[in-house]
Amino acid sequence: MHRYELLLLKALVKKPSMSLEELESASGLGRAEAMWALENLKARGLVEVTYSQRDRLTLSGEGREYAEKGLPEERLLRRLAEEEVRAAALNSESEKIGLQWAKRLGLVTIEGGMVRITESGVKAASAGVADGRTLRSISAGSYKPGAGDDVANLVKRGLVESKTQRHIDGIIITDAGRAEDTSGNDEIDAVDRNTITNGTWKERGFKRYDVSVDIERQAPAMRHPVKRLIEKMRDTYISMGFKEISGPAVESSFWVFDALFVPQDHPARDAQDTFYISNLENELFGGLSYVKTVRKAHQKGWNATWSEEVAGQRLLRTHTTSVSARHMYRIIDDIKKNPNKYELPVKLFSIGRVFRNEAVDYRHLADFYQHDGIIIGKDLTLSNLFDTLRRIYRSIGIDIKFKPSYFPFVEPGVEFMSYSDKTKEWIEMGGAGMIREEITGVKRNRLTVLAWGPGMERILLIRDPSISGISELYNNGLGWLRDRRGV
Amino acid sequence: MYDLPVISFDKKYLYGLIGEGIDDDKFSEQVSKLGFGVEEISKESITVELTANRLDLLDAVGLARSLRNFMHKSKRFVYEIADKDPGLEIKVDRSVRQVRPFIAGIVARRVKLDEQALVNLINFSEKFCETYGRDRRKIAIGMHNLDAVKPGLTYRCSKEGRFVALGERDESSYSSIIETLDKGRQYSGLVKGRKGNVYPELIDGEGAIALIPVINSERTRVTAETKNMFVDITGTSAYAANKVSELLASTFIDMGADVKRVRVDYGKKQVDTPILDTRYITIPVVRAEREIGVRIGYNNVISLANKMGYEAALVDRKVRFRVPEYRLDVIGEQDVIEDLAIAYGYDYINPKPIYYAENGELEEETKFNRTVAEIMTGLGFSEFANSYLTNDDYNFDRPRIKRDGSAVVIKNPKTEAISIMRTWILPSILRDLSMSANDRTPQNVFELDLAFKVDRRAAKESYHLAAASLDPKANFNNIKATVEGLLYALGVKYDITEQSHGSFIEGRCADIRINGKNAGVFGEIHPEVLKNFGLEEAAVAFEMDVAALMPKS
Repeated sequence: MHRYELLLLKALVKKPSMSLEELESASGLGRAEAMWALENLKARGLVEVTYSQRDRLTLSGEGREYAEKGLPEERLLRRLAEEEVRAAALNSESEKIGLQWAKRLGLVTIEGGMVRITESGVKAASAGVADGRTLRSISAGSYKPGAGDDVANLVKRGLVESKTQRHIDGIIITDAGRAEDTSGNDEIDAVDRNTITNGTWKERGFKRYDVSVDIERQAPAMRHPVKRLIEKMRDTYISMGFKEISGPAVESSFWVFDALFVPQDHPARDAQDTFYISNLENELFGGLSYVKTVRKAHQKGWNATWSEEVAGQRLLRTHTTSVSARHMYRIIDDIKKNPNKYELPVKLFSIGRVFRNEAVDYRHLADFYQHDGIIIGKDLTLSNLFDTLRRIYRSIGIDIKFKPSYFPFVEPGVEFMSYSDKTKEWIEMGGAGMIREEITGVKRNRLTVLAWGPGMERILLIRDPSISGISELYNNGLGWLRDRRGV
Repeated sequence: MYDLPVISFDKKYLYGLIGEGIDDDKFSEQVSKLGFGVEEISKESITVELTANRLDLLDAVGLARSLRNFMHKSKRFVYEIADKDPGLEIKVDRSVRQVRPFIAGIVARRVKLDEQALVNLINFSEKFCETYGRDRRKIAIGMHNLDAVKPGLTYRCSKEGRFVALGERDESSYSSIIETLDKGRQYSGLVKGRKGNVYPELIDGEGAIALIPVINSERTRVTAETKNMFVDITGTSAYAANKVSELLASTFIDMGADVKRVRVDYGKKQVDTPILDTRYITIPVVRAEREIGVRIGYNNVISLANKMGYEAALVDRKVRFRVPEYRLDVIGEQDVIEDLAIAYGYDYINPKPIYYAENGELEEETKFNRTVAEIMTGLGFSEFANSYLTNDDYNFDRPRIKRDGSAVVIKNPKTEAISIMRTWILPSILRDLSMSANDRTPQNVFELDLAFKVDRRAAKESYHLAAASLDPKANFNNIKATVEGLLYALGVKYDITEQSHGSFIEGRCADIRINGKNAGVFGEIHPEVLKNFGLEEAAVAFEMDVAALMPKS
């Protein structure tokens, strides 16, 4: 008999009926060891185990959000307590859901286009609705299964996932178990020094393991899937002869927009889309000669005035092309002074986060990763750009195709796409193109610059159809990470 | 970031304009070859996603024109107005200079309007003013029934005025229009002068025909029965106003109207719009070939140019392209070359490799970060990745440290979830761990990424490494063992000294010092901090500045 089995049996002789937790502490074994030994004892009829099916409840991303902020219908009720609400003004997805549920539960009615709270609605406004109370108790871990209907509804709403698990209720020693000799037999359990040097195994033999017993698999420490992809992407770039560059995430408008020919009245610069910073000094350009190039490009290209003050504003970069722009300017400036300074083409890449001013919730994030590349050389062509992008994506197992597109700083502009087997449609992977000569400050027949700046996360979505969306990647549940595979 | 303009057309009208041989499949195919997306085709309507440079295609007439060219169904490349004499005159008063200095116009006689054509014109001008016109700030378009316009047009600014606005029965004052009508409220920001509201208006012999850029008069309303039209284009740029008048002239010419210029009299200067200066761009064929990376040949270039609506001719081994009047986006040679590439077809451009000799290279920081991450996973820690954006509550209050003004502050967040950039990473990890409450302990996690601080009014970005073990059995010595294991593996010389820190239990917290400088902190997380993050098990943690660990080269 195995040592673990002996420990369990000895404990059960003292107290014939125990829960799994009691048995663990009485025997001093961990969960995995106790389970393993228990299975063996049960198979030999030495113990009896009683089971029940239990639902293990976990919250979805949406469920977590609602547990924190309240269900949409509860939020609607709270709002109604403070202000009048027109039904037509409830536009967002969650507001619509809230109205639907509140109506269904008889908490509100609609009269003349206005949402009116009912008597039961007033009560629910302070006490919460049943679904909400259940959700919060699940979230807090204090949920006790009751009527059962309440959870079913949350499952139907996609807020809670219920997985049935076998739960051990109790363990009872059988008569055969009591009769078993717990003084231990002679078979070797653990191989020790004695076993090896004296060869005791020759007479005693080894205790056998049941190889079919279920044990809890070990979870390896994992790198984050996005970070792993970033490392892979870096390897691809260096294998193709690219050098890595980096630049600030807290940038100035100049490098994010102006240097990329985005006119100063472009909507992308609005506070609606871009995060601005309130406690930093504007970038000062001193005598930076490139400012002159950019000013001229804007005045001529957009027929508009150009302000250095606007260009100096601090913001969070909306794309990593700002990093490429900083380095491109420096290298072209060097080449103008000394044409032999670099061996052309110069190939550079960077990987970093970019920011969009989004209302953050479990579905919308405000920052993502992007990889950005530029090649500065002579007589580079659109067909070279296609080849480079195709190689990069092929190295991570993705086929792409190209179509014309528009970004202010490139001409020709390119968008590339990949086919998703999951949604059966072409997914936009990112933008690319040849940098305008107004921006490089050099005629195309002297230098050409190829550039691209696609997102990283969508690569994972294409490669792993089990991932529901980008936000899933940043929920950072350890259980989720432990369930990832290493490919 | 570059939200794409999306517009719907009446399918029957659009297909009628394109002509025979068009069906849904053909339409989708051609539109996507041009670089745009078809969002939806239903029985009655078609929704297309355009790019921000081709706003001439917000117009069914313009889209049909481009598709007809692309399918070689049309030979019209030139949009001219033969008649040099203006069909109308507008006097411009100095008063408009303060808000909306420029105006252009066109007259279109014998327009063949019907319901669908009218809806298209209205949708086009609305959408165009929203996008290119920057919500009417830069450009606004007004369309009038020319037969209802009395002679003596003047464009000026008034402090107040009255007229019957489009869709209204009674006369009302400008100020009440701004306050009460939907359109008035929507554009109220565009009539603000330095001292109170100023109203740009277009008046004729009988009174106001437009409160610009808000609403036109009911009197000059355009209906499906309207025969002759007058269009005003106002804005902050004379260049843009004229270009838009050229674009609109092209549309009316394609609709079969007789288009006339409008004389704009600024007093000292007079401009007849649309100006319609012919622009040529001349490019050697080899240059186009060299940029795209394909062989095109002289004869083929002309045909590709025609496909994109350019009239083209060979002039001494070069090709002279005539820029179409309706194209607002063609600035120089590169734009023409792109159009040639589109006409050639991106699908037919064969990828060609670049040859190069140099080796690739990672940044030193990246190489070092890789090593650190490798050691951390070797120590049994899984990696998290969190947003750089957070708020004061999570960054300072919950971990019990002082709001010390060291954070980069976001000026315009949309939710309370965001107010600053994180100054350290540990709060992100503790927050994540509260989401993993059901998972097995020990939970060992780390994150290696950027944290942000303000240093002399500039942002300082530095890599931090934070790690935590949520583990009822863990104590100070366990995390000390992890810290020392990591520092030893990295070959760093360090000192450990006792420290107090709001996030950690007093007497169970220490500083890591490298070369006499503080490089990090570790210890047992204070129970109040655990509670603030919704954790119900003990945790130990550390955070370090990665740059301090790097070997000095």
